[in-house]
Amino acid sequence: MPLLEISGLTKDFGGLRAVSNLSFGVEPGEILGLIGPNGAGKTTVFNLVTGFHRPTAGAIRLAGAGLVGLKPHAVTRRGVARTFQIVKPFPKLSVLENVTLAAFLRHPARRDAEGEARRALEQVGLGAKLAAPAADLTLAEQKRLETARALATRPTLLLLDEPMGGLNPREVEDASALVRRIRDAGVTVVLVEHVMKAIMRLSDRVVVIHHGEKIADGAPDRVVQDPGVIAAYLGKRVA
Amino acid sequence: MRRAVPLAAVVLVLVLPWLTASQFTLHLAITVLLWTVLGVAWNLLGGYGGQVSFGHATFFGVGAYTTLILYLKLGLAPWYGMAVGGAVGALVSLPIGLVCFRLRGPYFSLATLAVAEILRLVALNWEGLTNGPVGLLITALPPVRIASRPIDWESKTPFYYMVAGLALAAMLAAYGLARSRLGAYLLAVREDEDTAEAVGIDTVRAKVVTLALSAFLAAVAGGFYGLYFRYVDPDAVFPIALSVEMVFIAVVGGLATVAGPAVGAVFLVTISELFRERFLVGHLIFYGLFMMLAIRYLPEGIWGGVRRLVSGHAPS
Repeated sequence: MPLLEISGLTKDFGGLRAVSNLSFGVEPGEILGLIGPNGAGKTTVFNLVTGFHRPTAGAIRLAGAGLVGLKPHAVTRRGVARTFQIVKPFPKLSVLENVTLAAFLRHPARRDAEGEARRALEQVGLGAKLAAPAADLTLAEQKRLETARALATRPTLLLLDEPMGGLNPREVEDASALVRRIRDAGVTVVLVEHVMKAIMRLSDRVVVIHHGEKIADGAPDRVVQDPGVIAAYLGKRVA
Repeated sequence: MRRAVPLAAVVLVLVLPWLTASQFTLHLAITVLLWTVLGVAWNLLGGYGGQVSFGHATFFGVGAYTTLILYLKLGLAPWYGMAVGGAVGALVSLPIGLVCFRLRGPYFSLATLAVAEILRLVALNWEGLTNGPVGLLITALPPVRIASRPIDWESKTPFYYMVAGLALAAMLAAYGLARSRLGAYLLAVREDEDTAEAVGIDTVRAKVVTLALSAFLAAVAGGFYGLYFRYVDPDAVFPIALSVEMVFIAVVGGLATVAGPAVGAVFLVTISELFRERFLVGHLIFYGLFMMLAIRYLPEGIWGGVRRLVSGHAPS
């Protein structure tokens, strides 16, 4: 059984259909890349899964249990964590405090929550910056901080929204390695990304969406040769 | 330093009645401490959680009326009445929170403003319960003995210790909240509600619970007010000015700090007393002027600013 199962998912914003009859599954332990041209509806899919938007139609199931209608905090409690495309750390709080807030979800006592937060920060390589205010971090570090904050909620499924956007090639390498480590630690990962080279090398499987519809679903090397996918990306440039 | 300042403050508060024979000084001290409780109450939600209430007089008034009504109609001693009043205040806050906190934006602030005004009108017109504009008057307080000595209710000293105890308890509650899980959640809510939800925080619940705590404290303070002045009427306990003053005390003293409201209360009561004698109603102009100066030059409040200067890091 897939860990996450999306079927017939549709979302209208007024007259605009942002996601249209979208169906795909995410297998446990997999790294799934969700790609598509700008405005394809990738972030909207994340917002639907995590309860920030309510679908117009369709079902979202986590390990068989429906997620539609749950508030974002309840979805997180069920084990789905996310990061945001535009990083949103709490700038005035320290790195440790930022992540401790999230760790309180599974640990009512501050001491335990801080322990969990330290582990998550070690995992993403920010163990040396615990006391720094989040505002002082570089963009790459802020993205790691967001990932640590998501991990501190002990997710089974992690949704990463452009974890590599705006990073230099060296930082992209580090971020890819981090995603693999997270998966190896037992967390299933779905990522939305524009950095094609990275996502093709990192993903076990890729789902391509265009105008809110799925146009391809399969192994990265197969998907890049799909005429529909090529048309979606290149067609835009020609037009 | 970190421990000496609060300890010295507590000792000063405890011995004050021995230092002065003046009932007026004691009355001023009671006023300061009452405002401290109210400032702390408002600060729990407004300072730590960033949810600005313009109608905390609602809870103050509910507490005051509950205390007096229970005493006058049922004979329940007012000190128990204060506790019941606190509970009723918290209860009244629940529907306000549950409805308004589902929405983002200024709805909560506006709704609290409106509710205080509605309750003022209810108190004015429900004459069977509240005596309407005439108000409720306590003519005699029940006799109480401590260590077989009767308490003299004509003196201000027993009231002073009562409100000092309340202020201390309120500040301890704020101190505890700031370090608890709920305190951490409020911080997240204040900074960014989407992120807070994304890390699993039930933002509505965090706000509703904090509002109830805050309302409880404000209502207990209202009960004390009724007991101390032995009189309540709608314009005394439900006015907008009262709600606004709670905001000012927390803002001028220091948002999201434990001691800030105490500092704000001392400052504002002093200012208003200094200028009241000389300028009568004109004193409000100076009050407003100091308000603007404080907000312009000390945006973290007086206490926040002092803490930053002394320790070089963020206030607590």
